[in-house]
Amino acid sequence: MRDLGFVLYLAALIGLGFKRPFLLVLAFAYIDIVQPQRLSYYLLNSVQISMIVAAMAFGAWLLFDTKKGARFAPRQAMMLILLLYAWVTTQYADFPVEAQDKWNWASKAMIWAIFLPLTLRTRLRIEAYLLFMVLSASAIFIVGGIKTAMSGGGYGQQIFMLNDNTGLYEGSTGSTFAIAIIPLILWFCRHGTIFPPDWRVKLFSANLIFACLLIPVGTAARTGMLCIAAVAGLVMRDMKRRVGYAVLVCAVGVAAVPLLPKDFTARFDTIAGYQSDGSATTRLAIWAWTWNYAQSHPFGGGFDAYRSSEIKVETKAVEGSGGVASVQAKTQDDKSRAYHSSYFEMLGEQGFPGFFLFLAIHLGGLIRMEVLRRRFKKAEGEDAWISPLATALQHAHIVYLIGSLFVGIAFQPFAYLLVAVQIGLDNTVSAKVREKKPIVLKPAPAAA
Amino acid sequence: MIDNLALALSHGLLILAAWRLLSRPDLDDPDIAAPAPPEPKKKSFLKAAAPDA
Repeated sequence: MRDLGFVLYLAALIGLGFKRPFLLVLAFAYIDIVQPQRLSYYLLNSVQISMIVAAMAFGAWLLFDTKKGARFAPRQAMMLILLLYAWVTTQYADFPVEAQDKWNWASKAMIWAIFLPLTLRTRLRIEAYLLFMVLSASAIFIVGGIKTAMSGGGYGQQIFMLNDNTGLYEGSTGSTFAIAIIPLILWFCRHGTIFPPDWRVKLFSANLIFACLLIPVGTAARTGMLCIAAVAGLVMRDMKRRVGYAVLVCAVGVAAVPLLPKDFTARFDTIAGYQSDGSATTRLAIWAWTWNYAQSHPFGGGFDAYRSSEIKVETKAVEGSGGVASVQAKTQDDKSRAYHSSYFEMLGEQGFPGFFLFLAIHLGGLIRMEVLRRRFKKAEGEDAWISPLATALQHAHIVYLIGSLFVGIAFQPFAYLLVAVQIGLDNTVSAKVREKKPIVLKPAPAAA
Repeated sequence: MIDNLALALSHGLLILAAWRLLSRPDLDDPDIAAPAPPEPKKKSFLKAAAPDA
C-alpha cells in the first residue's frame, strides 16, 4: 500500500514537472533526501528512480530553461576540481572496491551540487529549493522527534523510519543536519512567500524546530548538543534583547536536564571525563593515526582509506566504592576505525590537496554569505529577504562545520546542497546588482 | 502509525508547495517581484472601526 502511495506521489510530482520544468529539480531534492525507494518494499526498489529524475531535471534545464546570465562560480570550479581529484585517488585507492562504492554516491552528490546553482536563478527558485530541503528533512525528523518524545530514544535505538546508516537516517548525521536547518526554518517564518508567514506556518515551524532539537537526544549524539549550543549562540547575532534571550535559553536548558533520558545524560557526562570513554579516546587515536598516514600519503589513500588503520586505545576507568577508588587503565587494539571527523576524512582520503579544497569550498561559503549579509543588511522592500537568508545559510553551514569536527560527513549530499544554494543566492543577487536594479535601502535614522 | 502521520504531513505540504508554484510567474522570471507580504495587523478590529480622535 505504501509502495503504491509513493509511486503515485512521485508520478504526481513529476507530472507537475511537465508543466513547470523546475519542479523536476525539486523532485530530485525530495528523492535525494527522503530516499522513498528505500522506504518502499518492491516497486521503487527495482528502478533507479533517482538517476531517472536527475536526468529528467538536467534534460529539462538543457532544453527549456534560459541560460541567460548563467555563471560558473569559483566554488563550482573548486568542486569540479575536487571531483576530478577524487576520481584520480579512487583509481589508486588502498581499497579499490570500497573506494568505488563511495565514489559512486559521493560523485553524484558533487555533480548535482555543481549543476544545481545554474538552475537557481530567481528568488522564488531558491526559496522553493530550500523549502523542499526542509520539508523533505521534516519527513525524517518529525518521526524522530515524536518517537524520542514518546520513548526517549538512546544510543543505537531506532527512532527513524529506516534502520539504515545512510544520509540523514544515520544518527549523528541526522542530528547535525536537524540542528543545521533550524536557522532556515526561522527564515521561512519571516520571509516565506510560498507559504506566507501566518499562524499555521509559525505553529508548524515551532513544532518542527522542537522535533529537530529532540533528534540529538533521541540518537544520543553528543555532537548534536554542541550544534544546539552553536545555533543558540548564533541566533543572538541579530537579536535586540540578547541578555533576555540568553537568560531564557539558559533557563530552558537547565529546566530540560531533568526531563532528558538517563542514557543521554550519562553519555553526555563522558565529554568531560573523556578518558573513561572508549568512543572519545578512539577518536583521538584515529585522528593521530590519520595525521601520521597523511605524512606518508600526502596525496591521500582514496575513499575508505581508514580501513587499514590499526590503533591502540587506552581508557582509564575509576572503580571502587566508599572512600577507596582505583584507576584501571586498559589498552585495547582496534582496527579499521572510521575517521569520526570530516576534516580527517578529507585528509586521509584525499590528502592535503583535497583537505585544502574542502576548506576553501566551505570557508569560501561562509565568507560570501557574510559579504551578502552585510551588504544588504539595510535593504528594505523586495530585497529585505537577502541578508536574513545569507545569515540563515551561513549559520546552517557553521553548524555543519561544527558537526563535521566529530562526524565524518565530508561528502554528505545535504551539505553539498547547502553549498549549492549559497552559490545560487550569490549568483542571483550578483546578477541583480550587475543589471543595476535598484536596491531599496532603509533611510538612515535621523540624528537626535 | 507515527511514520505514516509524518509522511502524510510532510508529503502533503511538499505537493501543496509544488501546486502553489505552478501559478507563480516569478518562479522562472527574475524580473517579476514576489508578492508583497500581507500587512501586519497593527490595530484591533474595534480600534480600526473607531474614528480617529
